[in-house]
Amino acid sequence: MIQGQGQTGGRTVPPFTPMLLVGLALRSVRPSLLQPVFDALMTLVRRRHPDILDRMAPYAQAAVCIDPIDLPFVLVLEPDPAAPRLTVRREIDPAEAVATVRGPLETLIALAEGKVDGDALFFSRQLVVEGDTEVVVALRNAVDGAGIDLLEDFATALGPLGRPVRMVAGAALGVFARLRQDIETVRQSLIAPALQGTDAQSARIAALEAEIKALRKQAKAQAKPARSAHA
Amino acid sequence: MTSASTASRPELVCPAGTPAALRSAVDAGADCVYVGFRDETNARNFPGLNFSRKELDEAIGYAHGRGAKVLVAINTFPRAGAADLWHRAVDDAVGLGADALILADIGLIAYAAERHPEARLHLSVQAAASNPAAIRFYADRFGIRRVVLPRVLTVHEIAALNQHIRPVETEVFVFGGLCVMAEGRCALSSYATGQSPNVNGVCSPAAHVRYEETAEGITSKLGGFTINRFGRAEPAGYPTLCKGRFVAQGKASYLFEEPTSLNTLAMLPELIEAGVTAFKIEGRQRGRAYVAAVVQAFRQGVDAVLAGRPVPDLDLDRITEGGRQTTGAYEKTWR
Repeated sequence: MIQGQGQTGGRTVPPFTPMLLVGLALRSVRPSLLQPVFDALMTLVRRRHPDILDRMAPYAQAAVCIDPIDLPFVLVLEPDPAAPRLTVRREIDPAEAVATVRGPLETLIALAEGKVDGDALFFSRQLVVEGDTEVVVALRNAVDGAGIDLLEDFATALGPLGRPVRMVAGAALGVFARLRQDIETVRQSLIAPALQGTDAQSARIAALEAEIKALRKQAKAQAKPARSAHA
Repeated sequence: MTSASTASRPELVCPAGTPAALRSAVDAGADCVYVGFRDETNARNFPGLNFSRKELDEAIGYAHGRGAKVLVAINTFPRAGAADLWHRAVDDAVGLGADALILADIGLIAYAAERHPEARLHLSVQAAASNPAAIRFYADRFGIRRVVLPRVLTVHEIAALNQHIRPVETEVFVFGGLCVMAEGRCALSSYATGQSPNVNGVCSPAAHVRYEETAEGITSKLGGFTINRFGRAEPAGYPTLCKGRFVAQGKASYLFEEPTSLNTLAMLPELIEAGVTAFKIEGRQRGRAYVAAVVQAFRQGVDAVLAGRPVPDLDLDRITEGGRQTTGAYEKTWR
């Protein structure tokens, strides 16, 4: 069973960010209460970015699990162009989805908006992909090619209400950014003593590695004349 | 030999797998953008990628409106009995106003030269033409104007080649995924998956790729073969056989090539001196964030060299495969 917020067998630990705190606050919220947000998002995709569904047409019946590791939910995307759905769930049986994409929510949003490179995220292990790689690659390409800007898309869809929404969202993002800086300061402060110990250990390991290398070289050099003598 | 500051301005040829990536490339300073149709006629036939005819039409309008060119890669080898798909691709690309076609198959090149004598033809790296006689043949017989060189030559060899093949232009890869095989002739992907870049347009197709998370890290597989195992803190890579890590004589190592990206930013002055006409960035399968970052870096690099300034030290580590970079064969220190 894939469950939201870092409960996937203890393998995926979410980063310490404001989104993690939001996730903790949302633990008691029923997924069904959030579903209208994701319904609106799919309506927006159908209206403003139909090319995503067009590119996903060969995989219309493939359900993809999107797992934001800092939230207590998972999302299930069914990209059928005739009836696309994005369902928010507390958990999902792995057999229900052909593939899973797992990462921090902010990373997933940045990926959807084309602000970060999906391959680079995967190579650096900030993103986890499991299951049918073809479907995930198709989804990544389809979303990246759509030129999504979530805030702008929502604001535009709201018509005359878009302007105040942009202003409120801009202010909220500013607060969020400041909060992230503060949390990072707290995090650095908390781990500083541990890092000092790690730095000392790293230096010791580096010194030992250099010593082993020198000894190996010395042993090789000593073995050479011995082999020559036998030849 | 000309000095870099007096050399003619080389073109920056940039990849785009989607219309959004094309706009990113043009906005970041690409002189040319190369693209492919959404089918097996090009060597990046990846799921969800590439252009419909309508999208290509709009993309050419966008690029031309901003002074950039669009090159269409039709660089796979037509299957026997199914050449129509490739012929239509050539006809449509020319009809939509592409500035050049990038072709590999000799029969398709003949078709394009005969049907569209006005079209500018470039020889794809997939044709693996790397010596004067081969390049001259394509130029004399079919009017090929530019050759994309295989990634196996040193800068010195490229300079010597340019002396022999003028007025045929050369285009060289400067950044991105590094193919170490004889391109257009490699059968490793076919062996593992039944599909190849040469005919199907895809090396190590994603449908045959699996990543398995374990307590120790991640295992990458291609067509059921284990290609690599990465530790938890180790940068991962895409499982192609040529970049696999295998156990031989009890030791796990990369037999052909490590997961790494070509980066010749620091070598731009030498490549310009060598008389290269165009610098190609690999990566139509990568996202627009990659395209924007690499194109911006190389735009700055080329402009700096042409202005007589040193190449700026730009960090592209975060978008490289395996977190590592190489100058590949351009500096064959191992030869």
